[in-house]
Amino acid sequence: MIWQILREAWVSISAYKMRSFLTMLGIVIGVAAVVLMVAAGQTVQNEITKTFDSMGTNLIIIAPAETVSGGVRGGRGRPSVTFDDVAALRELPDVETASYVISTAAQAVYGANNYGVSIYGTTPEYLKVGNWEIEDGMSFTEKDLKSGKPYAIIGQTVVDELFGLQNPIGKTLRLRGKPFTVIGVLKSKGDNLMGNDQDNIVMMPATTVRQRLKGSNRPQYADIAFIKVTQEDRMESVSNRAEFLLRQRHRLKEKAPNDFSLHLMTEMVEKVRQIGFILSMLLAAIASISLVVGSIGIMNMMLVSVTERTREIGTRKALGAPNKWIMLQFLSESILISFIGSFFGMILGVLLSQIGGALYEIDVPISIWSVIISASVAIIVGILSGMMPARKAMKLDPIEALRYQ
Amino acid sequence: MTQIVIRIEDLCKTYFMEGGTKQDVLKHVQFKIQKDEFVAIMGHSGSGKSTLMNILGCLDRPTSGNYFLEGKNIAQATDKELAIIRGKRIGFVFQNFNLMMKRSLADNVSLPLIYQGVGQKERYKKAVELLEKVGLKGYENRLPTQISGGMQQRVAIARSLVNNPAIIFADEPTGNLDTRTSVEIMNLFTELNKQGITIVLVTHEEDIADFAKRLIVIQDGQISYDGPREDYKT
Ligand SMILES: Nc1ncnc2c1ncn2[C@@H]1O[C@H](COP(=O)(O)OP(=O)(O)OP(=O)(O)O)[C@@H](O)[C@H]1O
Ligand SMILES: [Mg+2]
Repeated sequence: MIWQILREAWVSISAYKMRSFLTMLGIVIGVAAVVLMVAAGQTVQNEITKTFDSMGTNLIIIAPAETVSGGVRGGRGRPSVTFDDVAALRELPDVETASYVISTAAQAVYGANNYGVSIYGTTPEYLKVGNWEIEDGMSFTEKDLKSGKPYAIIGQTVVDELFGLQNPIGKTLRLRGKPFTVIGVLKSKGDNLMGNDQDNIVMMPATTVRQRLKGSNRPQYADIAFIKVTQEDRMESVSNRAEFLLRQRHRLKEKAPNDFSLHLMTEMVEKVRQIGFILSMLLAAIASISLVVGSIGIMNMMLVSVTERTREIGTRKALGAPNKWIMLQFLSESILISFIGSFFGMILGVLLSQIGGALYEIDVPISIWSVIISASVAIIVGILSGMMPARKAMKLDPIEALRYQ
Repeated sequence: MTQIVIRIEDLCKTYFMEGGTKQDVLKHVQFKIQKDEFVAIMGHSGSGKSTLMNILGCLDRPTSGNYFLEGKNIAQATDKELAIIRGKRIGFVFQNFNLMMKRSLADNVSLPLIYQGVGQKERYKKAVELLEKVGLKGYENRLPTQISGGMQQRVAIARSLVNNPAIIFADEPTGNLDTRTSVEIMNLFTELNKQGITIVLVTHEEDIADFAKRLIVIQDGQISYDGPREDYKT
């Protein structure tokens, strides 16, 4: 019986081609929008994960404490972690390594070229902490750090902007008029999530930055420090030990607040992922408004159809159609429309998301969600929007329906 | 032995209208119709002919009284039971044909069989067969819009035959046709009647009623004449 009903439904739909097509289009657009938005959301989440992976997730970041005055949060306090603090942290159990950064920025000059760059004064361990690799040349050493050698390791962008096709190794670039010898080139990392170019970087020994670029009356203090933990499940314990150690070294009284703040990268990753997830749900919710509009379209078409075909319904009933059959036939029509619409909407959505991904050179996942969404839309929308018209058809009195002009 | 197809006893139909007024449209009507009969029902407009036909055709129920169709009292059957009876035992021919204009003649003719669970191929075969029987051989894939009114009514007659009904009801089947076409349709009915199909039709026209063997005249909801056609004098 179900095949007979579906066949009748199909023949009826195809009898009104233009109208059925336009109604389907509403669902096509709605499903395509939802699939597209879900793909966009997933892409954002994937990119977030990728960015964090490129930084390494087993990181504890030690920043200056937030200043609190009168209960109001201010900005960051002044740096409170010293180079020696970091050396001590490095010796804690489960710590793979630790490093720190003094950051500044300047215009880098080579020959006639110049370019604004970020400068990281750091230790040789920073490469490991930040998941950086040397592509060409070499890193500076502990010895270079001690003696404050004017050595620089530069990112791909700096290479491109200053040296073009020349080999930068051994060349001298100038920052604030002072010369630095390029000894290494970093492997490219590309943009981070915020669109910042991670390759626009010049790394050098922290001591060198202090002496030549960013002097301070407290030269032994780092702007920010990093601990790389061996395993993710040790993050908590290392964080606790680090806090204890730093309080001890800073001679803080029992009730005094920390003069530094610890941030677990794993927690930050989790937070950002959650935001990404909420964002993608929000996008999908907005897109599904178009689905609602589409299903109203189906309902409207079905109501018109029932009215137009009142005589047909009366005839069918007179010729022995059970009420249930009439209802199922009209319900099948709306389900069929939403089913076909959803199918093509899914294809369109996947296609558009792949084209978008290709244009922006991002991997866009084709997820099982698009299939799940379209299949459930097909059934739910079909039933919801077909129910009322189908019941209306079912309840028609055959005598009155046959008299209908 | 003759077989009684329809027997109605003391049949009444009252319409209750909004505002509490009621109208007795059929008042204690009774008659029998035997197999192979060809009955014409006549009467003035508003006399209750269509109301009677709707009850006989199981589209409606009497307010009181009994209706035996092939021996079974169906005066108070449910909608579902009535739908089954219509599908299996009754054929309809309407004044305005009531064909599905966007469907082929074969689809139209075989429509009632869908509800009997007959498969597509079988239905098509039956439709071709019946279209030939009503003189529309080779028309199975045409649309109703491509043929004349008389032909459309033939299609409707073919459709009424498709479920091998006990009886065919036709409420003013020639009402929308010109005289010549009407005669053709009536000849077709006569032919079918000769083949043993019971026919009950409603008409306004004396000439049409002439094709029937028996005449029932309704006046104001009551039977004023019931007998051989030729014995009736206006
Ligand atoms: N659904 C209904 N509700 C109320 N009154 C009705 C209804 N159907 C018919 N009637 C009334 O019943 C009476 C008989 O109607 P019916 O249609 O049976 O007449 P008829 O003999 O077929 O007339 P005609 O020759 O014009 O077709 C009319 O007065 C009509 O107004
Ligand atoms: Mg009438």
